Amino acid sequence: MQSRLLMTLQVAVAGPQKIGAVPHGTRVTAPIASGHFEGPRLRGKVLPGGGDWTLLRGDGVLELDLRVTLETDDGALIHLASFGLRHGPPEVLAALARAETVDPATYYFRTTPRFETAHPKYAFLNRLLAVSTGDRRPAGPIYTIDEIL
Amino acid sequence: MSGAVQSRPLMTLRLSTAPTQDVGAGPHGKRITFPIIGGSFEGDRLRGKVLSGGDDWGLVRADGVIELDLRITLETDDGALIHMTFEGMRDDAAPGGPYFRTLPRFETAAPKYAFLNRLLAVGVGEIRAEGPVHLLEEVL
Repeated sequence: MQSRLLMTLQVAVAGPQKIGAVPHGTRVTAPIASGHFEGPRLRGKVLPGGGDWTLLRGDGVLELDLRVTLETDDGALIHLASFGLRHGPPEVLAALARAETVDPATYYFRTTPRFETAHPKYAFLNRLLAVSTGDRRPAGPIYTIDEIL
Repeated sequence: MSGAVQSRPLMTLRLSTAPTQDVGAGPHGKRITFPIIGGSFEGDRLRGKVLSGGDDWGLVRADGVIELDLRITLETDDGALIHMTFEGMRDDAAPGGPYFRTLPRFETAAPKYAFLNRLLAVGVGEIRAEGPVHLLEEVL
């Protein structure tokens, strides 16, 4: 499998909304307050109003369902939706829960972003699949997103 | 991979399909359904057959890209059932040659294969005379 860097995306998370125990697990929604993204072909900011709808499953895996709107530095809007998984050793997850900075190589945090845009300059995003590696920082996650070639 | 994400082979999946069902133009595009009547999969950690009864629901978008939405059941050679889905994209007119990529996901109750519940994967697809073949890699 071949890939190349599409962008790094950093989002700032506002106070989590702990929905609690639901039929498929434990649900916590993390509103996205802001953020920015940068790559060789596009850069800009994350608009407020998105969120990451997370579900902690019975097997300890956290399912992620991120939806945000990106705005490029030349004014195009891009819809981003990303499914992901996060899991790792209990002590690593506990450190993350304490908002410590943890080596991202010690846990599994991967997502598969999809993009939609109406802007011709960025229409290539409509036609690709991507994979990201996540790094959960205290202020919010940083995603290194690769285009699957 | 030249980017940040590492991967390793998970399986080669070969699908047998029945004649395509051309559902026609719907609100989101042209719908075509590819019924799956069987197949096989093989990798270092698992192998077996594809049960009949699955489908790949395709949607031809206005920009020519076919969005794929597959659901099948795998049966391993030791009797475990694995629910598999993927979303995918097929762009036969991509500038660099046909682009046929998928994002498979798995669910199983068999402890031996529970690792599949905890991984994301990427597939590279190819249409061959005998049917679609997908090279699936685990995202590490």
